[in-house]
Amino acid sequence: MWDQVGQALRLSMTKMLSQIASLLPGAVALLTALIFSVGIAWVLAAILRRSLASIDFDRRVAHWGFPRLAEWSPSSSPTLLVTRAIVWIVVLIGFLIGISAFDGALPTQFVIRLFAYLPDVLTAIVVLVAGSIIARFLARSVLIGAVNMNLQYARLLSVGVKWLVTVLAVTIALERLGIGGGIIRLAFGILFGGIVLALALAVGLGSKELVSRSLERETRKTSESNMKEPVGHL
Amino acid sequence: MELDSIPQPELDQIERIGGADLVVGILGTESAGDGCGAVAFTRQFLAELPTPLRAMVVCNNGTHSPAAAAADVAGDKASPTVFTCALPPSAPGETPQQGISNAYRTVFVVGGKLGVRACGVIASRSQIATSRWISSLVHPVLDLGFDLVAPCYTRQKLEGLLNRSVLAPLHRALYGQQLQNPMGPDFGLSGKLIHRMLAEDASRRRGVPRDPLASIASVAACGGFQVCESNLGIRTQRPTDWENLSSLLAEVLGAAFLEMEGRAAHWQSIRGSQTLPRFGQPEALSPDPGTTMDVHGMLESFRLGAKNLQDVWGLILPPTTLLELRRLSRLPENQFRLPDQLWVRIVYDFALGHRLQTLNRDHLLRSITPLYLGWIASHVLETQADGLVEAESRIERLSKAYEDNKSYLVSRWRWPDRFNP
Repeated sequence: MWDQVGQALRLSMTKMLSQIASLLPGAVALLTALIFSVGIAWVLAAILRRSLASIDFDRRVAHWGFPRLAEWSPSSSPTLLVTRAIVWIVVLIGFLIGISAFDGALPTQFVIRLFAYLPDVLTAIVVLVAGSIIARFLARSVLIGAVNMNLQYARLLSVGVKWLVTVLAVTIALERLGIGGGIIRLAFGILFGGIVLALALAVGLGSKELVSRSLERETRKTSESNMKEPVGHL
Repeated sequence: MELDSIPQPELDQIERIGGADLVVGILGTESAGDGCGAVAFTRQFLAELPTPLRAMVVCNNGTHSPAAAAADVAGDKASPTVFTCALPPSAPGETPQQGISNAYRTVFVVGGKLGVRACGVIASRSQIATSRWISSLVHPVLDLGFDLVAPCYTRQKLEGLLNRSVLAPLHRALYGQQLQNPMGPDFGLSGKLIHRMLAEDASRRRGVPRDPLASIASVAACGGFQVCESNLGIRTQRPTDWENLSSLLAEVLGAAFLEMEGRAAHWQSIRGSQTLPRFGQPEALSPDPGTTMDVHGMLESFRLGAKNLQDVWGLILPPTTLLELRRLSRLPENQFRLPDQLWVRIVYDFALGHRLQTLNRDHLLRSITPLYLGWIASHVLETQADGLVEAESRIERLSKAYEDNKSYLVSRWRWPDRFNP
């Protein structure tokens, strides 16, 4: 009996060791891929950091209307943020290549699905970036226009427009990624409707003074049509 | 500059005429007058000259008819010959300023094509323009050899405020010439200057098109042309459209800043300024009707801007200026005064921001509106008890401030990042 137990133990140990041994090349390949990707990421980061510094990227980002990006970045530098993002993307790609070296069915399927998902991720990123740029541009246009029209709620209008566009962009991005499904659509409807209602109420209530000012001006224009305009610009 | 805006029959007529001595542009679009009136007072002016001249009158007052340009030739051989050419009405959506600029381009092209010796353009409302205006603008060119005759109007103290607060002092500080109205809109030009304008326009055909109204005085100053002024009298102003003030500012200041950017190499070395010869007697002005301005609305706009536009102004103005503006926004109405140096530096910083494109140019130019209203309020409060002479000397002080702060502009222009007070 003890012989049989010993044999079973030896067999299971051999099986275990051979399984571990079969995993070793994959593990070494994963490690090698990781080391290579870290090396490539490091070189890429160095080149990118120098290039971005040479075009004064941090200042340009602020001028393009993204001063807040500096606040989210490590050491308040958008250059560092971009280089670190690139480093992590390269390391992730190296990791995926290493995983696929295991040649197991599950990891390979995982990698294939991940790569198939990448175009959607890229589209979502583009939508988010474009949405952010458009939101800032429109918010600034509305703010300046509303201040020039002497509207007291100029800031509120500007923030409202910014959030409208941002919510729209985020919803499109999430839909593209296939996250949330119906809940996202419902949430978008509620949020969008809420913002529009809030803006409509704010504009409606705040416009009282604008309308009365405008009517006042019209009345004055007709009653004082013969009066000489004291101010001229050109 | 293109001839596209001139209808084909009239182009053929210009080809047939071959040459002329003078081109007169009557560009006031809201004029009640017509082409016949323009021809009449051009003929009246030409009749006063010792030698008969051939003249072409270009009208932009909506009198265009499909018929070819007509030659209005008097029977007498010694009498002047006047040809007419009417421009089609402005394109829909075109602002009055754009309409005048496009018409100016056409007048220059017609003048260049006919090889004229002189050109007189009246873009003010033409019911007030007479043959005396044409004479005042063209005489110094024909008889005294000047290349540019800029207009000098008789104004009430609150008229032409954008011109007084920015355009004239900026031109004076940049190019060293004290012109009352560097952007006209009524000018007299020599054939030589027209050719230079056409050549400059052709050389930057691929770049951003410049407004000829903003270019004329600076081309003359940079090209070493002889410049003078002529007293034209009282000019009827368009009623102020307060609703579209920011559009007006964007249009006018945008053109001026673009011109400034294109001639930076020239103006950086100029210091001080000189007065220019001025012809004609200034028209006597009826006393100020005594209309008082309510500055409350303007101050409200300024305060609203100071409260909401700090982020936008922060991209253009240095921190010390922002601090000063915040302090001013808290002052009560009777103490509110915008110091000359602060206003001058604001204008210079906006010009620099426009050049560096620190933010969208339209946003930048429109965001100056509350500051401009603040300046008007301060000027009105400061000069409300003053007469015309005192108000003019106040503007002279402001113009001196522009000259005194030019080193600030030059430093920031050359080293925008390093020199940031």
